[in-house]
Amino acid sequence: MNHPPITRRELLKKICRISSGIVAASCLPVSALSKIAKAATPPEKWLVEGHGESPGYSVRELTRRVFEKAGGMSRFVKKGDVVVIKANISWAREPALAATTNPEVMQAVIELCQEAGAAKIRIADNTIHDAGRCFAVTGAGKVASETGADLVYPRSSMMRKMNLHGSRLDVWPVFTPLVEADKVINLPVAKVHGLSNLTLGMKNWIGGVGGRRSALHQDIHQSIVDLAQFFKPHLTLIDAIRIMTANGPSGGSPSDVMAENRLILGTDPVGVDAKAAGLFDKKPADIGFIRLGDKWKLGTMDLSQFQQDLVTV
Amino acid sequence: MKRKHLVWFRRLCQAFFLLLFVYLLTGTKLPQDVYLDYSPNFEQVREIQIEGPVTFFFELDPLVWLTSMLSARQYIEGFGWAILLIVATVLLGRFFCAFICPFGTLHHMCGTIRPARKGRDRINANRPDPRRRFKYFLLIGLLMAAAGGVNYAGLIDPIAFLFRSLATSVFPAVGNGLRDFFETLAYSDIKIFNYLAYGLEAAAAPVFGYEDKAFHTGWAIGLLFLVILFLNRIRPRFWCRFLCPLGALLGIFSRFSVLTLQKDKTKCTGCGACTRTCQGAASPDPAEVWQKAECLLCMNCTAVCPEDALTFRLKWSSPERKHTDIGRRALLGGLLAGISLPLLGRLDGKISKTNAPELIRPPGSLAEEAFLDRCQRCGLCMKACPTNVIVPAFSEAGIGGFWTPVLNMNLGYCEYTCTLCTGVCPTGAIQRLTAQTKIKTPVKIGSAYIDRGRCLPWNGNSPCIVCEEHCPVSPKAIYFKKDVIVRPKRASSEPEKPEMEKPVMEEIDVQLPFVDLSRCIGCGICQNKCPVKGKPAIRVISAGESRSLENQILL
Repeated sequence: MNHPPITRRELLKKICRISSGIVAASCLPVSALSKIAKAATPPEKWLVEGHGESPGYSVRELTRRVFEKAGGMSRFVKKGDVVVIKANISWAREPALAATTNPEVMQAVIELCQEAGAAKIRIADNTIHDAGRCFAVTGAGKVASETGADLVYPRSSMMRKMNLHGSRLDVWPVFTPLVEADKVINLPVAKVHGLSNLTLGMKNWIGGVGGRRSALHQDIHQSIVDLAQFFKPHLTLIDAIRIMTANGPSGGSPSDVMAENRLILGTDPVGVDAKAAGLFDKKPADIGFIRLGDKWKLGTMDLSQFQQDLVTV
Repeated sequence: MKRKHLVWFRRLCQAFFLLLFVYLLTGTKLPQDVYLDYSPNFEQVREIQIEGPVTFFFELDPLVWLTSMLSARQYIEGFGWAILLIVATVLLGRFFCAFICPFGTLHHMCGTIRPARKGRDRINANRPDPRRRFKYFLLIGLLMAAAGGVNYAGLIDPIAFLFRSLATSVFPAVGNGLRDFFETLAYSDIKIFNYLAYGLEAAAAPVFGYEDKAFHTGWAIGLLFLVILFLNRIRPRFWCRFLCPLGALLGIFSRFSVLTLQKDKTKCTGCGACTRTCQGAASPDPAEVWQKAECLLCMNCTAVCPEDALTFRLKWSSPERKHTDIGRRALLGGLLAGISLPLLGRLDGKISKTNAPELIRPPGSLAEEAFLDRCQRCGLCMKACPTNVIVPAFSEAGIGGFWTPVLNMNLGYCEYTCTLCTGVCPTGAIQRLTAQTKIKTPVKIGSAYIDRGRCLPWNGNSPCIVCEEHCPVSPKAIYFKKDVIVRPKRASSEPEKPEMEKPVMEEIDVQLPFVDLSRCIGCGICQNKCPVKGKPAIRVISAGESRSLENQILL
């Protein structure tokens, strides 16, 4: 099940696609090119929040409705794309303990990607606990085997030193499947954290690097922002079906967990985190990495600038 | 023709059991494709256990069983195969050595494929050697030492020896070497090499895993293994003839066996073919007296005899055989050594006098004395551990506990809900735990303490909460006191003025960590993940371990 990040066939296809793209682009008039570039730059200011209100609602249904409201997965994932999902499966904890991404949400997202025609879907996270146990216990392994997605075992051969060009971080080993993909979907779980206050979307990227990660805590907020500007996910979906409100980020007791039954989807990493901070009754500006993310123009923490939609199930 | 078939049947058995041994050894780890089902209405912690009879060869080993029972002074269950083997040996002789023993098979291969000694020289090498009594000396010494309270049997029991050598030395060494190779390919800029590396690594993962393994004294274990294999050049099956205590034990049991070698002196031409191929140096030549306790029943002599002068027959009594040749010196020497070993082993005081702080045993371990009664130092728990925290002891447990399992939190940590090592101990030195009992009891293996001189918030360097973040118990065993420290201002992203001479101080908010000893279980993830390299600022010692009444700190 642990496949290399890109197969030879994919590579050849990719080379063909890129080279044909270059040929096509060279035929375009300059004005058209600049138009494409312009259209891609401004992050769209929208957020979709899903809320499972009815008792016994289906998490899968909720996830699908959230994406439907955002214009469908096909807006983001194109046919033949290689999609990598950065879930949080760092702790060998049962899903009910809310230390890791809800497997039902993960499964629903993978199914949506498959329906949108993704050629390959990978789940990747450089876990904290033993990866084999994390895969087994968090439900990620089950999701992978049921959907056919690749669960990439984090290992030293897939760590590559890259320059993050951050203000605090420069050269770090990066988990390559997270950068060798057409589309990156960030799928964190919302938790409390002893130092950064909260663990949301941007902090999830600590699981994208290797090396001496524990040293990042000496300047946690800047480190988070540096990582978030490097990875730049195309989509962030925060899993707040169950949130951890105490003893984070590892938790361990059902009493640390609260059923929030919400999902927050967006393309703006700072905006999504700002919205999720509200679940913990926190102001976005009080959370260091959200404030810094806004300052470094990774996105906007001012929620009034967003077009916000709510879907309920 | 029929006798030749018997030899081929033996080879088939040897190949089967050797492969089975390696298969079970590689299977002693976290199952690769066990994915627990998740359901929204989850209630209890689910178990992951190693499936398959990974302790089969130990359950078959009467030496493991007898020494453990002798030193533990109680009946130990689960050794049905060993009982069966004793019965079979009493009836048939030492067939285990030639048909089943995987270590014996390795020696057989080393001594037979391109042998060092050939022709007449080999016949001489296969003549009985009185020094073979040394194995009885070892056996008696081990049994006596076990009766005296320290079980050293696993150090030279062939099954434990082979498992330890392969699991903590040969396989990790090969695996780490392969990984180096894969990494070289994976880091290359040529894409095809990258894919090749990923593919090969995934293919090798079921055997070698994805992570580098480290075992203290692994080099010594490997070296000893190679030396023992090399001894086959001096005498074929040197180990089986001169050293193996299990072979000695089975030799004693074979005294009344009814499967005997019938020699027809009238047919014999004295060609020496039988002695040349003899594995046990048991004098198959019709001119000599058959040494039953040395015979491994490899069936070579009956197959190679051109005159059909030799046959194995079931016969109640036969005058033409020699009984077990233990020798008075081996007996007395063994008794003496056996008495002195446990006495000497206790002299360093680590068993009963002091509680060594670094002597951290796997969860579920018995109290130290009872643990040493049973532990065979086989390495099953070390092989099973997914985080590589369990390593063979060098000095941590004293000489009595040499190569017994200890936890080194710098290499790994004991995962909160993991109970793999507790399910594989063949003798019950580590008792089986469920994740539920491990957490709920809770089973403590030690406790952590903070080295304030090294801890980053305590010594005024920077904020850090890594130990608290990783602490798996809920509520956490590490808690904070908020404080403000003053430190010299550090260069930030904005360039400093170069002419600045007096250090400008800055205030930073920190959280000073404290360990709540009543909650700490000693899992060691704090030590393992601590960013203070070299000597971590939070370290685990054995004090507070549930298995000991004395080794406690709190009232």
